[in-house]
Amino acid sequence: MVMMMEGGSVGAGKRKRNMGKKKAKKSKNKKLKMLEGKGKKFRVSKKMRNMFEKRARDYNSDDDEEDEKENTAEKVAPGDTWMGGGGDGDNSSEESDGSEEEEGEIQPGIMKFTEGVRAFRLAFKNIIKRNVADDSLGPVLSGHKQLVAKKLAEEEAERKVKGEAKKEKHLVAEKGHLRPANYLDSNEKFLIGIATKGVVKLFNAVNKAQKAQKGLDPSRSKDAKVIRKRRKEAFFSELGKTSLPARDSSSKGNTSSDPRNDEGPAWAPLRDNYMLTNPKLKDWDKLADQAIADDVGRMSEDSGSDGD
Amino acid sequence: MARFNNKQRKKKVFVKPIVKKQQKKQPNVDHITGNKIPKSFVFSRGKLPGPLRQLQMDLRKLMLPYTALKLKEKRRNNLKDFLNVAGPMGVTHFLILSKTETSPFLRVSKTPQGPTLTFKIYGYSLAVDIAQSQLRPRCPQDLFKNSPLIVLSGFAAGDEHLKLTTTMFKNIFPDIDINTVKLSSCQRIVLLNYNKDTKLIDFRHYSIRLQPVGVSRRIRKFVQNHQVPDLRNLQDVSDFVTKAGYGSESEADEEAATVTLISDLSRVNRASTKSAVKLQEIGPRMTLQLIKIEGGLCSGEVMFSEYGNGGNKEKPGSRDGNEREDSENDNKMEDSDEDNEAEDNEEDTEESEEDNEED
Repeated sequence: MVMMMEGGSVGAGKRKRNMGKKKAKKSKNKKLKMLEGKGKKFRVSKKMRNMFEKRARDYNSDDDEEDEKENTAEKVAPGDTWMGGGGDGDNSSEESDGSEEEEGEIQPGIMKFTEGVRAFRLAFKNIIKRNVADDSLGPVLSGHKQLVAKKLAEEEAERKVKGEAKKEKHLVAEKGHLRPANYLDSNEKFLIGIATKGVVKLFNAVNKAQKAQKGLDPSRSKDAKVIRKRRKEAFFSELGKTSLPARDSSSKGNTSSDPRNDEGPAWAPLRDNYMLTNPKLKDWDKLADQAIADDVGRMSEDSGSDGD
Repeated sequence: MARFNNKQRKKKVFVKPIVKKQQKKQPNVDHITGNKIPKSFVFSRGKLPGPLRQLQMDLRKLMLPYTALKLKEKRRNNLKDFLNVAGPMGVTHFLILSKTETSPFLRVSKTPQGPTLTFKIYGYSLAVDIAQSQLRPRCPQDLFKNSPLIVLSGFAAGDEHLKLTTTMFKNIFPDIDINTVKLSSCQRIVLLNYNKDTKLIDFRHYSIRLQPVGVSRRIRKFVQNHQVPDLRNLQDVSDFVTKAGYGSESEADEEAATVTLISDLSRVNRASTKSAVKLQEIGPRMTLQLIKIEGGLCSGEVMFSEYGNGGNKEKPGSRDGNEREDSENDNKMEDSDEDNEAEDNEEDTEESEEDNEED
């Protein structure tokens, strides 16, 4: 199929294309439209032929043969390209069928072009029709469609696996991490109670000890001795006191405090074990059953070293 | 290469042990008692997951002020590096956090050759969790300026290992001299409670607050909060002052918890008046179980082991050949078989890797 576009027949193939080119080529397009619409050339060429014949007669009114010849020649001359049919227009009415073939022979590009155009039009229509019924993946070639589906499935699987792995990791990381309750648990209350008791004991001991030396100035050596004495006394009395409440609570038979009372007051320095660490303090054992503070031990060392 | 800055008392940056400049030195020796002030490092071995890193920060805050709050550690740091720095800085204790497949572990050890106690952390709660669970979380600014008091309870004078535990914990925190201590400086308390039946140690951290007692609730609130009370329905001011409000449940407990202050602590807590001691929980909460005691610093002879297992194996994540940890071994006994096999395989592979690396 030779689709040669010769000068004038630019839009020859399609009606659509010709719509836009009216102004430029009025006369030609008229002819072309008529050509396309009918697909027959002899009508157009007939009119044109009559016109030209008139002109020819006016111009050369001598010969009939020559007229005919001239007619044909003239017809051929102006409508070179698209007057392929016109050239044979003389014989068109009689040789219409044949002329088409002849026209095809004479000007093969044009004839084939229009036919080719028709064929192309049909083919294109078919393709368009077919693609309307495609699915969601869009106009995809069948082989590619499967590929795309596979890829999507793979991605899904991957994501799932990753999600699970992440969850497991998170679980392991959070192991042991507890969120505390909003309210105070009974166990928590118990623990706070223990801590409070310890703090109270400490504060009372501190108060006592510091009261003893309230009025005295530590820098004065004379007073320093008095301070030391008072400290010791205050402390012993305090320790004597602290042992009592512990014993009392033990007598209550409170199970929770039993393990506590085995070793005495809650505050660490007031417990038995302190004594064991420092051999010098062993004598204190005889004075009070219960604990002796580390500080007291140190104090006594100081006093011992200073030489009472 | 190595920079060691001691910029402020509380903030220390650690890369490698070279002491550059010490502008403001923390006292090594307590000027009152004459004893050495114990200082500590809190760090981790191996990579810790998110919540455990938070726990490490919480523990650091707990140990303030005698600890390195901004201690920076790198993966390649060995225990030896820490030891080397600890010497010149006067650090006496290490608190080491680590995590295995089954649970996190806390090791408390005394430098340079002191014993190491290994605790398994059964459960922990972060400070933020606790603050969220409370209606009115309280954390005043200067709460961490002084070291906390410590209370140990339930450690019956029985087994050796418990005694060692108590001494260890007592020594971690500096002593206080009751003759000179100011009550206003005792603002925190750490409680360790041993439960004989379950062999678990409860670790709690509270803040201490003193509240004047004997004063009606309204007046106290008014004085403390400076909020103008609503006197619309009252005929006379005396109504406001003398109205008998309902007693709250906690007031009964306060009776036992009252102290008489020797000096003025604040505007409301004046001397010679009774105040109640109120504790509010801050800081992390842990449930520990003593697993193992070693004679050396994370090494040495095993003096006590919960499960009677004396093997030594490499811990995953540590590169120091000297370090050994029994935790995986111990885990064998406790955990299900699944964990067993997984850990064993892990251990074996890690061990072989380590050996290859060393070679």
